[in-house]
Amino acid sequence: MSRQYNPAVAAYKRMDLNSLPEDNKQEQVSSKGLLARSSPSNKGTSDLDYSNPAVRVAKQMQVIRKYRDEINGTK
Amino acid sequence: MELNNQPSFDAPIPGQSLTAELGARPWQSKPQYPTVDEAIDYYMERMSSEEFMIQLAEVLESGVPVTILANTIQMAGVMEGKHTIDVGMLVLPMLMEMIMMVGDSAGIEYDNGLEDKNKPKVRDSLIAKVINTYSKEIEGIDLSTDDTEVEDEEEIIEEPKGLMARRT
Repeated sequence: MSRQYNPAVAAYKRMDLNSLPEDNKQEQVSSKGLLARSSPSNKGTSDLDYSNPAVRVAKQMQVIRKYRDEINGTK
Repeated sequence: MELNNQPSFDAPIPGQSLTAELGARPWQSKPQYPTVDEAIDYYMERMSSEEFMIQLAEVLESGVPVTILANTIQMAGVMEGKHTIDVGMLVLPMLMEMIMMVGDSAGIEYDNGLEDKNKPKVRDSLIAKVINTYSKEIEGIDLSTDDTEVEDEEEIIEEPKGLMARRT
């Protein structure tokens, strides 16, 4: 049987999860004074474009991959 | 380029797509889940059911590659009018990851389908040839001399030569 074209192979291989930055939990500003910073700090947050659906899929994949790694005991 | 010599009998006959009213097929009408996020939620909910997971594990155990399984699932979603083919393509890697997670959690040695089995393997004779070539090159290099050079470089301490430098 000939190997038919399967888009899943290319789609999966193009998802480079290793280069995708992991989400860092944002530090919540506890002080509520007048001089307190109004918006949360952008320090540590990635410059990912979440309007891109591929990025959102990659983030979902990253979560599942993390579970897989835990199951397999690789990390 | 000749791809397949065998005639394909399971392909649609010419004009078959025109045998139904336009819009009568599920994939010709508006998709139920138009965005990627909605499609992901749909699949997550569907795949996390115990019944689905058992069936999936059985199929994986029978040796069906993950790539084919994921593609079939997303294609079925398109045919049922759940989402568009574009959304299906975007969701495909996530589906694969999910299927592999089910396989891992069930302890199945599944085929992920990412390796091309028709790809020619590297011949043993070629490996032996490369080893021979490099072993000869390595034999010619004296590694002990390189280490001493590095040590010598570390020992050299630059003496201050400025006007304000301390005189010894």
